[in-house]
Amino acid sequence: MRRVPPLIWAFLLVPLAMELAFVFWPAINSFYISLTKWNGVGAPEYVGLKNFQNLAADPIFIQALVNNVYWVIGFGGASVVIGMLLALALNKPRRGVGFYRSAIYLPMVFSLTVTGLFWRLLYAPSGSVNGLLGLLGLGDWQKQWLADPSTALTAVLVAAVWRQCGYIMVLYLAGLKGVDPTLEEAAAVDGASRWQRFWRIVMPQLRGVNAVVFAVTVIDSLRTFDIVWAMTQGGPYNSTQLLSTYMYQTAFTTVNLGYGSAIAVVIFLLAIVFIIGYLARASKTED
Amino acid sequence: MATKTELTRRTFLSGAVALGGVAALAGCVTSGSSGGSTKGSGTGAIVFQNSESDPDPKAALTALVKEYNANPVGGKITMNTVATEQFRAQLSTYLTSSNPPDVLSWYAGSVARDYASKGLLLDLSELWEGKGVASKFSTALKQLSSDDKGRQIFMPTDYYWWGVFYFKSNFKKWGVEVPTTWDEFISLCDKLKGQGINPLAQGLSTTPWMASGWFDILDLRVNGAQFHRELLAGKHSFDSPEVKKVMKYYAQLVPYFDPNMGSYAWQDAVTPLVQGKDAMYLAGAFISENVTQNADDLDFFSVPVIDKSIPSAEEAPTDGYFASAHSKNKQSVMDFLTYMASPKQQEEFIQKSKSSNLPTSPDVSTSNFSPLVQKGLKLLNETKEITQFFNRDSSDALQTTADTALVKFLATPKDVDQILADWQTAAKKVWNS
Repeated sequence: MRRVPPLIWAFLLVPLAMELAFVFWPAINSFYISLTKWNGVGAPEYVGLKNFQNLAADPIFIQALVNNVYWVIGFGGASVVIGMLLALALNKPRRGVGFYRSAIYLPMVFSLTVTGLFWRLLYAPSGSVNGLLGLLGLGDWQKQWLADPSTALTAVLVAAVWRQCGYIMVLYLAGLKGVDPTLEEAAAVDGASRWQRFWRIVMPQLRGVNAVVFAVTVIDSLRTFDIVWAMTQGGPYNSTQLLSTYMYQTAFTTVNLGYGSAIAVVIFLLAIVFIIGYLARASKTED
Repeated sequence: MATKTELTRRTFLSGAVALGGVAALAGCVTSGSSGGSTKGSGTGAIVFQNSESDPDPKAALTALVKEYNANPVGGKITMNTVATEQFRAQLSTYLTSSNPPDVLSWYAGSVARDYASKGLLLDLSELWEGKGVASKFSTALKQLSSDDKGRQIFMPTDYYWWGVFYFKSNFKKWGVEVPTTWDEFISLCDKLKGQGINPLAQGLSTTPWMASGWFDILDLRVNGAQFHRELLAGKHSFDSPEVKKVMKYYAQLVPYFDPNMGSYAWQDAVTPLVQGKDAMYLAGAFISENVTQNADDLDFFSVPVIDKSIPSAEEAPTDGYFASAHSKNKQSVMDFLTYMASPKQQEEFIQKSKSSNLPTSPDVSTSNFSPLVQKGLKLLNETKEITQFFNRDSSDALQTTADTALVKFLATPKDVDQILADWQTAAKKVWNS
């Protein structure tokens, strides 16, 4: 390997210093704040693990945690399955495939906030979703999707998946380009069924993409905030509250920064556990 | 939150910015102490941090500041406008920073008092005495602008009232009259519902605090302003017999609300009112900004008296300015606030911001104001007690407990006892934190 000249190192120090000052230092600070009671005025008051004890007994936090589990599974599962199916369907070159790919990827160019506002219109009492149900003679199914605590979270989830699956599709399309077609053909000649070929031949070759998709999905689902905030702000009565929205609400609406930071720490730990766990397993199988 | 900024794209943007600001805020832990007062009486340039980010009020303030800077009494003004929700999140950071903005636009009430008790707000008492610009403001306003030590730390410049808004032409069309007693109000609702009209408009989706509008006014009617203030200060319990009585009246209204209220934000709920699908809407005077056609047709009445022995009370959230105790140019601050609170500028602000807000100065000529605004002014002048709004009389933290409890109550009114017990538990946490 060529030696890197010292001047380059000097230049690299600049982004490193920025990263340390604006990302790592505040992040470490937020660990400290999570052990304090602080409303932003005066000095934070050290309270030990009290914030975490309170979290354990906080019904809204528990609800947010349960919702988040539902969200990770629903959002992750649905967008990965749908994204992969779309990728498989649109992998082979044929007429119009480019159009479909772009059409499916298109929602991704909208910000989550715009997606949320758009779906809020679809879900409105006299919006398209209810209109369509009415046309299909399913008037009984018409609901106030975002106002009913039993449907609100799933309604938001559908909007988020609608946007995410195009992204997953593109990741898998890229992965499928690296799949050696001769292996699949050979397996077909040997009499392997479609299902066997997919699971035994294609899937193992997608391992690298799977790791990326997994990490992206877990991180995206834990950081989901904007679309929920745009559509329901965690309501009605906390039924769509996720850890991130509850963190935002406690930290910035009610300016309880210690408690908000404690929630942020929980989110961080969850993300780390998931990702380290997966990466450890992935590297083990690669060896 | 009786502010007018709601679910706009800007709000989200500000949310996103504020999230990014976690980092910035966190970085301030070690530097954010409020020690070291550097009071000065300088007359240098000052910074005005503005939270009135809606287009019309912002334009009005920009014009006022521009006029001031053309011929400043004291130092020149630099105005920074910050989206309301972001301003709310960062207010404490502003006030505790080592170089705080000198003047900030915000609202009167518990938040201002809280900052004053921590020594962060400039004593504005001199403006309330002698020939000071606020010396002729009403005693109710003076009391509202005072901290626990009796000093005035707030400069109110405009306020607005809450009432039951309706369209005169619609009432005529339906052959109904404005009710004068609670029983008449309920039978009016009944009659309207019989005609297939939703008697009461409401919007709770992203503005669940609207549910507190009815709670506040019913508590004022049933238990009075004194009890209401004490309740919000934690001196009574939300599952007390008094609050249960309030909820009995609230429960009477439940069948009359627009069934879609859970899907609407407060602005969306104006549409069925304008279309004549809904009849009445308890809201702040800010509603008039959303009624762009036939504004003259809009009228309001005060929620009828329930208990005649209770002194009359209305909600009137008050907006204005406070200043940082650490301002280095105290004289410039006083000069600028005197300018902003004087009758001419109050009038100009109200007209340019196209709001139905009322001036706090008794010297503003009201003859140019619309009949609606004059009626609002009369209402507030005649009432015995004035409260703000749930969050302004308590805190934004207590407001979130009210949002959860009241929206749940409107969905399942029969669970009222459990809901009130949960509310009290959540509120206790806020008071003890």
